[in-house]
Amino acid sequence: MSVIENIKMALSSLRAHKMRSILTMLGIIIGVGSVIAVVAVGQGGEAMLKSQIVGEGNTIELFYMPSDEELQTSPDVMSPFTQEDLRAVESIPEVTQVVATSSEFGSVRYRENTLDSSITGINQAYLDVNELEVASGRNLLSADFLGGRRTAIVSASFQEELFDGKNPLGQVVYVHSQPVEIVGVLKKPTGMLAFGTNDMYLPWNTWRTVFATNDISQVTLQADNAEDLQKAGKKAAGMLNQMHHTEEAYQVMNMEEIAAGIGQVTRVMTIIIGSIAGVSLLVGGIGVMNIMLVSVTERTREIGVRMSLGATRGQILFQFLVESVTLTLIGGAVGIMLGGSAAAIVSYFAGWPALVSWPVIVGGLLFSMVIGVVFGILPANKASRLNPIESLRYE
Amino acid sequence: MIRLQSIVKSYPIAKEQVNVLKGIDLTIRQGEFTAIMGPSGSGKSTLMNIIGCLDRPTSGKYLLHGERVSQLDENELARVRNRSIGFVFQQFQLLPRLNALKNVELPLIYAGKPKKEREELAIDALDKVGLSDRMNHLPNELSGGQKQRVAIARAIVNQPDLILADEPTGALDTKTSIQIMELFTMLNQEGTTIAVVTHENEVAEHAGRIVLVRDGILVQDDRTAVNKGEDAE
Ligand SMILES: Nc1ncnc2c1ncn2[C@@H]1O[C@H](COP(=O)(O)OP(=O)(O)OP(=O)(O)O)[C@@H](O)[C@H]1O
Ligand SMILES: [Mg+2]
Repeated sequence: MSVIENIKMALSSLRAHKMRSILTMLGIIIGVGSVIAVVAVGQGGEAMLKSQIVGEGNTIELFYMPSDEELQTSPDVMSPFTQEDLRAVESIPEVTQVVATSSEFGSVRYRENTLDSSITGINQAYLDVNELEVASGRNLLSADFLGGRRTAIVSASFQEELFDGKNPLGQVVYVHSQPVEIVGVLKKPTGMLAFGTNDMYLPWNTWRTVFATNDISQVTLQADNAEDLQKAGKKAAGMLNQMHHTEEAYQVMNMEEIAAGIGQVTRVMTIIIGSIAGVSLLVGGIGVMNIMLVSVTERTREIGVRMSLGATRGQILFQFLVESVTLTLIGGAVGIMLGGSAAAIVSYFAGWPALVSWPVIVGGLLFSMVIGVVFGILPANKASRLNPIESLRYE
Repeated sequence: MIRLQSIVKSYPIAKEQVNVLKGIDLTIRQGEFTAIMGPSGSGKSTLMNIIGCLDRPTSGKYLLHGERVSQLDENELARVRNRSIGFVFQQFQLLPRLNALKNVELPLIYAGKPKKEREELAIDALDKVGLSDRMNHLPNELSGGQKQRVAIARAIVNQPDLILADEPTGALDTKTSIQIMELFTMLNQEGTTIAVVTHENEVAEHAGRIVLVRDGILVQDDRTAVNKGEDAE
């Protein structure tokens, strides 16, 4: 007697008690669904946290964290990087780009209005690594960077606040009494957690004229892959410490450690919440066992008839086992779909990727089957041990 | 083909072993049509269950086709029931959710026959009992006589050489009973060995041999009717 035959038989007997089958499946659906949702949300969250650390563009930031003694010898904590530092770091073979920025918070004047804004000088590499999407006007060009032109792009909220939403393109604003022409406005940031800030971006050469300083406050390296990045970061930090005669003032984050730490934290969270969800799966499994026991009792006569017609005990056992596995497998499949959808919805609002991976789906289905076998074996065994004569007489 | 020697069957009743069958000796030859009669509780059904390999005797020797049944394991017994024996019950014992055709197919499923062959054989069997026009009906859409004919079709579908019927007409009216017995007579004429338990003389009259059981003992074996059997052993 083939497995397909048994599955057909199982389906028809499940159909005969639709309501009961659906209610029994509900336990499995909720159990599998919640486990899948928790795991998917957890994995999505972990992926998002990791990508934020490593940065989508494979970038790493150089930190300047001088000790107390070092602080006394180097007064400028805010702008710790020099032009030479930049050139030295650029020469490291693993480094593909070096992003240099300098930032100040200051007021910008347009006619009689002033606005407090962050004013950032960027080099051209910045545009390759960070996407600054322009909604109107144009982005900064090579000519702006090389020539140190007095051009700037501003954020959408900058435009709203200083220009009252009017077209700022071609207008001249004053930063530190120095005129700068606005050539582009950035797109409004999207996403739930994004809110508009007042930002102004100048070519770095312009920034240094305006603020009359050569120093750079932030240096970010980019490499082709995470491994090179870590290497480049270490080399750069070593190089800078040597050049500045400092011990450990220049540092990079050890992303591997941090990523591993985050992975551990999210995994522990996932396991804790997942095992709470797993309890509902256990309850669902017990529901399956309960219903299968009822079903065996109800079908005592059927079992007797089948035995008298030549069914072996093994065949009866298999029949009921297939039935419970069919029940849990359908429940599991529906649970995976619902749990996956729930994870997708949560991830959409939280703004991180929904990860319902194939291993999770296959694992979920296999696990549903295991539940069916584990909780089906007792009823199936009971069925196979019935005495055919007594079963035939059963009322 | 059936040889029972001092078959004893006891059941534990109120902490005591009560002998329900007290040493039955009975030989049934290939092609015989035997009626088993006797008062209620005399052990007829118990005897039939032992012959049908649904139950084992407490002691005694049972040879079926010259083979000692007590030496067969559970799976071999199931195989014997499947291949060599067809059961017909008083309560029909059709599976209520399966239509007539599917009910008749059941023994073939356990015989491992492929679907197409199953269907053909089942239709043939239903044809033989005159119900090929009812094969898609569920049991509760059939009359008592029709149900019993479906059950007979199910009993013969695997072409067993022995049919055991425990009060097959017990739930039917006289006219239908006669139809069912005529069906058995026809099958017997085709060579199938048949044993029928009954309380009714009109039913027993169809058999060539009447065996009387009383209180677990075979008290009378009447072969006055023409012996249609030939000794197979
Ligand atoms: N499983 C059992 N446990 C205990 N006693 C049993 C069991 N099965 C049958 N008996 C007893 O064995 C005796 C014979 O039963 P059996 O069913 O063989 O009688 P029968 O001749 O078929 O009767 P009837 O004509 O009413 O069907 C009865 O007294 C019955 O109570
Ligand atoms: Mg009886």
